[in-house]
Amino acid sequence: MNREPEAHLRTGALDPAKPASLFSNYEVDPVFYDEMFSAPGVPREHCKALWEHLGRMSSADIAALQDRTEQSFLHEGITFSVYGDESAQERIIPIDLLPRVLDAGEWGQIERGLRQRLHALNLFLADIYAKEPAQILSDGIVPADLVYGCPQYRTQMRGLRVPLGIHVFLCGTDLVRTHDGFMVLEDNLRVPSGVSYMLANRRALKTSMRNLFRLHKVCGVEQYGKLLRKTLAEFAPTGVADPCIVLLTPGVYNSAYYEHMFLAREMGVELVQGKDLLVHNGFVYMRTTEGLQRVDVIYRRIDDDYIDPLAFRQDSQLGTPGLFYAYRMGNVAIANAPGTGVADDKSLYAYVPDIIRYYLNEEPLLANVETHLCREPEGLEYTLDNLQDLIVKVVGGSGGYGMLVGPHASADERAAYAAEIRKNPANYVSQPTLNLSRAPCLTDEGAAPRHVDLRPFVLCGQETRLVPGAFCRVALRPGSLVVNSSQGGGGKDLWVLPP
Amino acid sequence: MLSRNAQGLYWISRYLERAQHGCRLLADQLRTLEDRPVEEIDQTWRRLYASLDREPVGGSLESNLDDEDFMLADSYTLADDLTFESSNPDSILNCIATARENARQVRNVISKDMWYCLNVAYLKLSKVGIADIWDDRPGDFYLHAEDTIRTFSGIVDSTVYRDDSWHFIQLGRFVERVQLLAALIEAQLTVFPLTEAHVEPEWRSLLEVCEARGTFSRRYSLEYRPVNVINFLVSDLRLSRSIRYALARIVTALDRVSEKRPAREARRLAGHMAAYIDFDWPSHNLNDTDATRTVLRELRDRSRRVHDNIEITYFGYEIEDTPGT
Repeated sequence: MNREPEAHLRTGALDPAKPASLFSNYEVDPVFYDEMFSAPGVPREHCKALWEHLGRMSSADIAALQDRTEQSFLHEGITFSVYGDESAQERIIPIDLLPRVLDAGEWGQIERGLRQRLHALNLFLADIYAKEPAQILSDGIVPADLVYGCPQYRTQMRGLRVPLGIHVFLCGTDLVRTHDGFMVLEDNLRVPSGVSYMLANRRALKTSMRNLFRLHKVCGVEQYGKLLRKTLAEFAPTGVADPCIVLLTPGVYNSAYYEHMFLAREMGVELVQGKDLLVHNGFVYMRTTEGLQRVDVIYRRIDDDYIDPLAFRQDSQLGTPGLFYAYRMGNVAIANAPGTGVADDKSLYAYVPDIIRYYLNEEPLLANVETHLCREPEGLEYTLDNLQDLIVKVVGGSGGYGMLVGPHASADERAAYAAEIRKNPANYVSQPTLNLSRAPCLTDEGAAPRHVDLRPFVLCGQETRLVPGAFCRVALRPGSLVVNSSQGGGGKDLWVLPP
Repeated sequence: MLSRNAQGLYWISRYLERAQHGCRLLADQLRTLEDRPVEEIDQTWRRLYASLDREPVGGSLESNLDDEDFMLADSYTLADDLTFESSNPDSILNCIATARENARQVRNVISKDMWYCLNVAYLKLSKVGIADIWDDRPGDFYLHAEDTIRTFSGIVDSTVYRDDSWHFIQLGRFVERVQLLAALIEAQLTVFPLTEAHVEPEWRSLLEVCEARGTFSRRYSLEYRPVNVINFLVSDLRLSRSIRYALARIVTALDRVSEKRPAREARRLAGHMAAYIDFDWPSHNLNDTDATRTVLRELRDRSRRVHDNIEITYFGYEIEDTPGT
């Protein structure tokens, strides 16, 4: 057998003639927290081994690995679709092979903070849907109109007892880091996506950098599918011992279809579309070749609006008529519950620290980003006066659509955006432009710093579970702060090291 | 098994069977082009188009051969039409694209290797056009495409669990095969009626398309008598590209699939066709072109009804009650 190509790669990787070439042009800017370096040329303690190892590889070697990995993503169909881009229906999420590393202490802090936050948000949702007015609103902690006026507040959910009393069984929280530490940028409590990329990126890294991986004893994330299934099973209707769990997808044209397929496969459950399900005498069934089979738990990846045309949007072609009725009867679990979007609304976000204090009587472990609500006169005035320094987001928007990055916008763009804000102030919030941390990413000129965030996934059933990892997103364009996959972002593997 | 998944598997294998058939036809056609007079090239294109129920571009199946206007000899355009034409739902590229689209729908129930094989095949194929393959041995392109489909079949054989998934894959492949073969032999009879002196190369090429020439010459003789060829392709249970063999596989699959919910009508029709071939074929003089064509047309109709019954039994059955509100 001809082993030459691999042998060639190996000598290339260890060639002492080109030491540290990967990082030779790497710039550490003191304005931004650098994930790998504490000062130019000085790696952080927990990144030292990685830095030394990567330094022995040439840029060309890593670029070759990079090409091979991207090719394999395309061939395996690890793709997503971008709406409004007809020419490239299926694209891969670019992966950057240089991992981002967190030590056990950093991860512990994140984990505790996320558990606390989700616990409080679930208590909040239980409160606002239990009775009217909710306790927290009567006590004046959160303005009532922010809840009842929110389009994501579902009157259909009022008084409904959800299984385990838990509305959010899965959240994917976006975290960023500055010199001040980790901060929550957004809570995604509806149908958070990205976990398949966490797993795909991990698999790619494990394949392409085997030795490096083993050397670091990186904490595993592969058990995610098992934990997901276990958590979903806990939501089964009373008396159902071996529940039939399904993943409900809008179909192949959804941008996250790959993930739906991937997770159904990881969990060993059926991937269904609305038309595969039907409701009969208050129970949900799926259409199989052997006749109808009862469904007990639905992990839905369809937005609230489209779940059931009889309960929500009547023009929905994606859902199943009668599904919500079966849910109200307690004959099927829908996870996440409908109506959780009220708690990840970008205006409500500003109140989450108070929500934590109110229900748990604890100080929040993870900070919020300072947020100005344009619905309030001071917030509006501040936003309009400082547009050039702010990031403005649409309340209820997601995926980075419709946002304004003040420092990167032209004066004309800012003026046009300001006019939009004035038309409907309540629809906007603004935040300071953060000095998001940067991590080394592979470019044509070797490693270069790019802004990153991370999205860990928290599961909440009879207990709260999370795997030590996250979908780490990268703004691949130099200087860009936008990490969304739909806006030219990519991903990289995130390593959590054992204590 | 989820009905939509069963339907997806069924269509993956139908479309790949169709694509493979297209590859074999075109590979054979392009071999013909190498050393045949233009009338014969015209005739084999006619057979090909008639068997696919498609009007050729720039010509018509009805046009008169005596005009010496061999419209159908523009092989470049015709091969493009059957291979890459996006408006032709049965072009080889579209068949593979549709098979892949179905595979995408059911990716969580097929093996990774099945998906990988089909996805890579599609990605490669979608990057080439007729101009890329024409100058340099175009036949190789079809052989290569067919190889990929065969690889896929091999992966199916070695990775698919023998539950309903397997049976629906078999049903798709063999229902399609019955239809393609019946249509092809019927078209052969239309273009080369048995009353005329038979043209040996055309009957040999028919066997070639059905991967049966070598076996035929051992079983019968080197003389490609039309009656023997038809008999072989219709009734020989040991030939994998014969109608009788395909029917046997349909019957087996229908007997094993979803025991709780038998497709009785499909089973009856398939069994009936098999018995007809075993005991009543040929009940007429095989040299009677029209009678043979009628039988073949009947087999095609019935296999369509087999499909309809599978569809209504497993994929799109009606539910009696309306959902609660």
